[in-house]
Amino acid sequence: MTTPRPTIQPWSRQVRSMRSSIMVVATLPALLAIAILMLTQWDFSVVLLCVFLPMQVVAGAVLGALSFGKRGLKDAILMVFAVFLFSMVFVLLLSVLYSVISTGIGALSPHFFYENNRYVNTTTSLDYGGVGHAILGTLEIVLIASIISVPLGLALAIYLTQSRAKHLAVIRTIVQALSGLPSVVSGLFILAFMHFFMLQPSGLMGALALFPLMLPTIARVAEESLKLVPPDLRMGALALGAPNYRAFFRVILPAAKTGIVTAILLGLARVIGETAPLLLTTTVGNITNFNIFSGAIATLPTYIYSFLGSSYDVSQLRAWGGALVLLILVAVLFISARVLTRKKSTKRKSK
Amino acid sequence: MQTSPQVASTLSAQDINVWFGDRHVLQDVNLVFPANQVTALIGPSGCGKSTFLRTLNRMHELIPSAGLAGSVLLDGEDIYGANMNAVDVRVKIGMVFQKPNPFPTMSIRENILSGLKLSGRKIVNADEIVETSLRRASIWTEVRDRLNDQALSLSGGQQQRLCIARSLAMNPEVLLMDEPCSALDPGSTRRIESTIEELSESMTIVIVTHNMQQAQRVADQTAFFLAEDGNPGEVVEFGATEQVFNLPVDARTNDYVNGHFG
Repeated sequence: MTTPRPTIQPWSRQVRSMRSSIMVVATLPALLAIAILMLTQWDFSVVLLCVFLPMQVVAGAVLGALSFGKRGLKDAILMVFAVFLFSMVFVLLLSVLYSVISTGIGALSPHFFYENNRYVNTTTSLDYGGVGHAILGTLEIVLIASIISVPLGLALAIYLTQSRAKHLAVIRTIVQALSGLPSVVSGLFILAFMHFFMLQPSGLMGALALFPLMLPTIARVAEESLKLVPPDLRMGALALGAPNYRAFFRVILPAAKTGIVTAILLGLARVIGETAPLLLTTTVGNITNFNIFSGAIATLPTYIYSFLGSSYDVSQLRAWGGALVLLILVAVLFISARVLTRKKSTKRKSK
Repeated sequence: MQTSPQVASTLSAQDINVWFGDRHVLQDVNLVFPANQVTALIGPSGCGKSTFLRTLNRMHELIPSAGLAGSVLLDGEDIYGANMNAVDVRVKIGMVFQKPNPFPTMSIRENILSGLKLSGRKIVNADEIVETSLRRASIWTEVRDRLNDQALSLSGGQQQRLCIARSLAMNPEVLLMDEPCSALDPGSTRRIESTIEELSESMTIVIVTHNMQQAQRVADQTAFFLAEDGNPGEVVEFGATEQVFNLPVDARTNDYVNGHFG
């Protein structure tokens, strides 16, 4: 005869018994804060920080101290702060998403995705024009920037983790310093370069301006993920008679694959929304431009920027639409990158 | 043919001295490992056994501050000679580590073939190599139905035998084992010991162990290493296993094998 599986786990019993008191403790300060907000004219953030949060801390601390003593006291206080800060960030994220989606959706229509800006001015109705040229420009420029940055960034990470060179600390510091470079400075540098060599704004110049921003992000994240590969694996490969490069490409790199993909995605995320360096180096284009070597070229961030400056409602709406398309583009890129890389590893497992 | 057992080789270490930075850790080690014999290296932790083992297939030089003097002869040829390179040496002299380290991104089958791929060899008769290697490491019956599973899905003892099989696929002349059973249960240890016995018919084996009984069970000859009070480690006693354990010449060996210290 087998013992039937109990419906509740032993460890959740004590949590259950405390649930009612937790509910009271958690909701009382919130109710009081709402009451104060309705009865007085106090500012919301004042009530949140000066009434709700202290009350929540005190109530949590009392409950924690009563149930678990000193340990419960510390636990409750840290828990309240952790949840509070998490909620702040989460609400912030949700509100950004909400405002972009709810406003931007008004600008969306099928033609908004593929038409360009050629005959559009600040008062043109939304029945005409779209961000097609800007989507193309963003993809072109980010692709070129990636073609330059990804191999160099990965090479840098490989150098920092696999070589025995003496000056690694210096190089690491420089890479870290580079990752703090303000994007507009990178744009200015390329602009000065363009003036010096008499070059016209083009997609290539934009990609060059994004390169110093993308490189350190990729290099640092890839370095961290390569460092996480246990040295045992490298030793195992070398003991089988592998030259260093084969041990790296066949054993270490596959083991760090997920981290490398993350590094590339974070590099993309770093530059896909950049505006300032592109305004300086590509200017704002209005037409579809497949040629990255010459001519003004539009990207989603510069598209948003150019319409946000106008006071007409229809232009503002175009900017919101552009922002929404940018969000969608980033989501599509990230999700597809994850799905593509995950499929390979699961296929191998089930094979 | 890569799968047919090769003739084992004699390995001999002559006047091996090792430094890490300025610290002298091994002094004048002279040992001979005759073909088809199992040699156990015993001694307390930190006496330099593992370090010595790593000088035998040039894994030692991977440590940045390492220094070495002396020579290691494989059938009379110095593996540190000018016309030898580390990669070829490691193909002939395989190594199994203390902690099982199967390659996590590869299946069991790919792990076995990894050595051939990593050293840039052509793979003929992949299935045969996989089966023979796994059989020789006595793990074939446990994994034959799941060759394409991830190597990490195996238990610790199976992973270690997989690592042994991975070394065997290279058909080494000498196999070095660095405490291969220290992380394993008695059952897996027993299986690995019987594997070692079978393998000694086709290769020379050097095994580092902290387990006195294990040394007595598997080894034909035993070397006792000791590093006293900041002095570099050296071989205190070397001879037939029975003699080292039952009639040691040096009093310190007697103390160690009878558990008086270490």
